[in-house]
Amino acid sequence: MLRIIVPIKQVPETSNVKMDPETGTMIRLGLEAIINPLDLYALETALRLKQTHQAHIIVISMGPLNAEDALREALALGCDEAVLLSHRAFRGADTWATSYTLSQAIKKTGNFDLIICGERATDGETGQVGPGIAAFLNLPLVTYVRRISEITPAFACVERLVEGGFEVVRSEMPLAITVVKEIANPRLPTLRGMKAAKVIEIPIWGPEEIEANPDYVGLNGSPTRVVKIQSPKVTRSGTLMSAKSKEEMDQAADKLISYLRENNLLNWMNAK
Amino acid sequence: MENKYQPITIKICQEIIDIVGENNFITGDLDKLEPYSHDEVADKAFAVMPEIVVKPTSTLQISEIMKLANREMIPVTPRGAGSGLSGGAVPVFGGIVLSLEKMNHILEVDTENLLVVVEPGVITNDINERVKNLNLFFAGYPMSVEACFIGGNVAENAGGGKAVKYGVTGRYIMGLEVVLPSGEIVQFGGKRVKDVAGYDMVNLMVGSEGTLGIFTKIFIKLLPLPKTKADLLVLFKTPEEAIAMVPKIMTTAGIIPTAIEFMDQLSIKTACEYLNESLPYEQAGAMLLIEVDGTDRKMVEQDYECIGDLCQENGAIEVYVAPNHTTQERIWAVRRNIAEAFKVYSPIQSLEDIVVPFASIPEILPILDELSTRFNIVIPCYGHAGDGNLHVTAVKKPEMSLDEWNAIEKSFLIELYKEVIKLGGSISGEHGIGSKRSEFLPLMMNPTVIDLQKKIKLAFDPNLILNPGKIFPQVHEI
Repeated sequence: MLRIIVPIKQVPETSNVKMDPETGTMIRLGLEAIINPLDLYALETALRLKQTHQAHIIVISMGPLNAEDALREALALGCDEAVLLSHRAFRGADTWATSYTLSQAIKKTGNFDLIICGERATDGETGQVGPGIAAFLNLPLVTYVRRISEITPAFACVERLVEGGFEVVRSEMPLAITVVKEIANPRLPTLRGMKAAKVIEIPIWGPEEIEANPDYVGLNGSPTRVVKIQSPKVTRSGTLMSAKSKEEMDQAADKLISYLRENNLLNWMNAK
Repeated sequence: MENKYQPITIKICQEIIDIVGENNFITGDLDKLEPYSHDEVADKAFAVMPEIVVKPTSTLQISEIMKLANREMIPVTPRGAGSGLSGGAVPVFGGIVLSLEKMNHILEVDTENLLVVVEPGVITNDINERVKNLNLFFAGYPMSVEACFIGGNVAENAGGGKAVKYGVTGRYIMGLEVVLPSGEIVQFGGKRVKDVAGYDMVNLMVGSEGTLGIFTKIFIKLLPLPKTKADLLVLFKTPEEAIAMVPKIMTTAGIIPTAIEFMDQLSIKTACEYLNESLPYEQAGAMLLIEVDGTDRKMVEQDYECIGDLCQENGAIEVYVAPNHTTQERIWAVRRNIAEAFKVYSPIQSLEDIVVPFASIPEILPILDELSTRFNIVIPCYGHAGDGNLHVTAVKKPEMSLDEWNAIEKSFLIELYKEVIKLGGSISGEHGIGSKRSEFLPLMMNPTVIDLQKKIKLAFDPNLILNPGKIFPQVHEI
């Protein structure tokens, strides 16, 4: 049986995120919290492995106490076990401290074969925590995985999305991967799943339970600081081409095609 | 069509420009007039070009235009956002299209009386955006909420997805300021909740499809905003099982959901393929999308668990839960994109909005099957199961020729409407009669009743200049 760990993050629902222009931070008050949408692909990957191979899935999240909701939803989808890392000392962690904390918790959960992470979180947008965990645990890492073609207790073959194609990577286990959207369409939670998830006990761990070095967690343990957030000014300039006759239309079309060619936007045509 | 209307002369144009100003006046430029020649009815045969378009900015301007139109016998067609589905905003006899797009102000938010006063060109969604922070909302919910104007919603008495619990637009209209076809300005109703003095003129205006007057101020009742909601997507083996759930939810479970939407397998499949969404529809003959809302999360959770359990006891294959906005959007996207998905499959179609007593929905489904075989067309069926209002759509198969389609479309509609009427239904639940369905109105309505309504029309508009060619067939023979 495969033992799979899926670290997930609870993020503000992205359709209505507002930034505080004074502090440059996100206004979280009153926002609905959801599972990071990209983590749903990691969960789906794990759940499909559970269907095809036998697997036991442990989902872990670090966050405030209400991150329990995200974990319950993951359990409702079909994960077997959940752990919540919630403690005052964890607050304000950057990606380094977060990766460290999660890796300590993963060690604590025992043996595992595979760690599956989402590509990045939709709030922080760093994409560093998955690779960070792999580094702390000294694991082989494959990022941007779009398909798991073979998996055994000894090794896994995966396809890694790269610009213009994909790489086939064979790695020994245990292994950490981050997955992209292409890998699978996430399922919806069922009522039965949600009811079953309600009665599963979720332990809450602090720095002591995971034997963390207090100097490595939370804001104190974070080597980086967000000093300033700026919204980039998007300047778009458009060119309007108008055509009143057939000839002008042909000319305009030629102009458009040559513009697209020059800017390398017509590659698919060349490929044909 | 023979009529007594007069063309718009250069002199009249000048007079109209003097009323609305040059910037609020369009004529001559076909590219600029074209958008005002149609609404969202897919069939371009229903489009008619206006001679001119005016965009008045005040009630007085509208009044002046109506006086002039009466004097010169020029037809005037009022227009909101043009998102209608019955040709209501189409200038069937040319003349003036009077667009209310510039009368788009929220005039008053009255928190003491829980109402807003708005102009007709306000986008319906903007009302809710404006009062959200006051924990209030307008409960009318046409599905095109981000585009449509409130004036059009009132004129068509728009229904939509939340009518099961909240009713249709008319329930929330407390008063109207109206420019009558004569140009006189009157107010019906107002800020009072109860009022039985005289006939209920407000509700005569609601749903009058722009044929009795032009609304310039709309008084809208607001409700406390529900703090939370959740959706269930329930898969059933058969449509019969799905529909049988509707009364059970309200009696056995004792809950009135905000919405109960029905989708047959063909609708789900086409929408899923269009959206690249994977729902396990293969075994499901039909799905219900059920929404519950409430003031706190625990309560909503209790409600949806209760409904979900009941569905499972009654043979549901699976009950999916969408507890947060992201997943809710995902499943509503399937429902909302059905029409669009079929437009991609085949743009030639007739989108209907028949309504039957909701217990009769299972009876209409085999009839649709039979009609689709007989006429060799595709007929997806989806819509508001909670109120029996179904968007049965006749879609031309891509391989069928346009001539063949044109030959069968009308006979199909007559057959469909006859069956609907037999079941105690109506040919339109929320889109309106407009120009698209006026020839079919006599199928369902007693001549005495039609005659009575024509007399009402004449009392308001003796010269028949306001939105002619709508609702009643041959009103000019009066």
